[in-house]
Amino acid sequence: MRIDIDNLKVAYGETVAIDSLSLRLDTGKIYGLLGRNGAGKTSLLSVLAGFRRHSGGTVLADDSPIFENWLTTREISLIRDAGETVNLGTVEDALYFAEDVRPRWDAAYAQELIDLFKLDRKKNVKSMSKGQRSAVGVVVGLASRAPLTMFDESYLGMDAPSRQAFYDALLADFMAHPRTIILSTHLIEEVSSLFEEVVIIDKGRLVVHSPADELLAMGSAVTGPAEQVEEFTRDLTVLGSKQLGPTRSVMVYGPLDHAEARKAGLETGPIAMQELFIHLTGGPAS
Amino acid sequence: MRFPSRLLAANIWFALFAWLAYLVVITLVTVGIGVWGELNESVWEKAVQLTRWYALFVGVALVTEFLPLFIAHGQSRRQFGFQAAVTIAIFAPFLSALLVISFLLESLLYGLTGWTWALGQAHLFSAPTQVPMIFLEYTVMFVGWLVAGVFVSSAFYRWQGGGLLAIVPAVAIVLFVQATIGDKTPLPFISLRIGFDVADSALSAVLAAVGAFVVGLGLTWLIIRDVPLRNKVS
Repeated sequence: MRIDIDNLKVAYGETVAIDSLSLRLDTGKIYGLLGRNGAGKTSLLSVLAGFRRHSGGTVLADDSPIFENWLTTREISLIRDAGETVNLGTVEDALYFAEDVRPRWDAAYAQELIDLFKLDRKKNVKSMSKGQRSAVGVVVGLASRAPLTMFDESYLGMDAPSRQAFYDALLADFMAHPRTIILSTHLIEEVSSLFEEVVIIDKGRLVVHSPADELLAMGSAVTGPAEQVEEFTRDLTVLGSKQLGPTRSVMVYGPLDHAEARKAGLETGPIAMQELFIHLTGGPAS
Repeated sequence: MRFPSRLLAANIWFALFAWLAYLVVITLVTVGIGVWGELNESVWEKAVQLTRWYALFVGVALVTEFLPLFIAHGQSRRQFGFQAAVTIAIFAPFLSALLVISFLLESLLYGLTGWTWALGQAHLFSAPTQVPMIFLEYTVMFVGWLVAGVFVSSAFYRWQGGGLLAIVPAVAIVLFVQATIGDKTPLPFISLRIGFDVADSALSAVLAAVGAFVVGLGLTWLIIRDVPLRNKVS
């Protein structure tokens, strides 16, 4: 499912959560949606799922409006921590309703995932641990096979092995049934290998929308004697730096001539997506 | 628009089991009063009070539980509104049918034991065997309470504390409907005659139920037609 967002605005009374955001997401890719707390990620996903009406601009899914357009929204799944799709009686009950209203529901796959996460179908979802509730959300989200599937930090409650199982299941199912998937997360390093493209928003505005490998290629660490590093990076966009004795390491953003750096006796290397994210959104929290 | 088969089935299934449990409890209470006390009135007439609060609870749950569920699964608010209306239109007579059975079973018990069956206040019916009128009276009652529940919870879901204001029209709906079926003081702790002074008749009861259904759900639609889903667990 293709998403076209033009000049989107989402406001809660006087508070503007998203302002003048334009974005195009192509079909059949896994997107990482990154942003600090309060950046507007949940507001953006809520608009994309028809959970709320936007205040301005246009949002189209495959050229159709989303809000109150059930022919489109039935093909969109947003799983959030709030648990709207699962907090209703037992796991069985959640599946009972999902099966009824989701046109592409795969009951056999849902059972596979239930076995994978060792969930009890008869257990009341509200009485489960946070990790188990998250897993039920993952089951509903993946087995719905919606052409636009979004997870809004909804799997963060799961323990590390369960999260890894989720990532593996997500990737395997994406390969078998390609669709547009958006993962909103704070666990950037853990999930970044899944991202084909990355969208970073900050204070309601788009900061970066780029293929993940291109984004990573934009960031480099230049390490060497402090003076030489200082000289080499003078005209570059410096995201941050560390110094240990006479050795300085500087993170730079933008095209870098690695051969030139090596000629100057400096080492260059990649930097983590999380480092890029932190610096692109204003640096470490103080 | 799709027929809300699973929404109805889930509510009917739960109500059936709740009713069976309630039937056992009320039968035991009846026998207890008959054996150790003085039984000269219908116990089910009093027991009905709890069932209408149950209907209110179902109306509340339709919005707090099922509205977010349906929207999160890609249904529109318009579809949900239609499905909720159909659910109320079918669930109210279903609950009423359960009360009809309750009164018939109670009548059988009173007949077998020789206890005196009588009603403590005015109704559209005067005997437990007047099935159509019992069915009508309680269908009307459940429509009023279900609609009131849906309306109030919609207001609370949308405006949270501001939903308090919706209690006044919701109470008016309940009082108006109850007034047409003989119950002029349907609310607990309020013994004053604050209800509407409407003649008790089958026709006025039906008109009141239809009016409550149309006006109550119409107001509810105005509240939910563009309501955003809450971000946090309620």
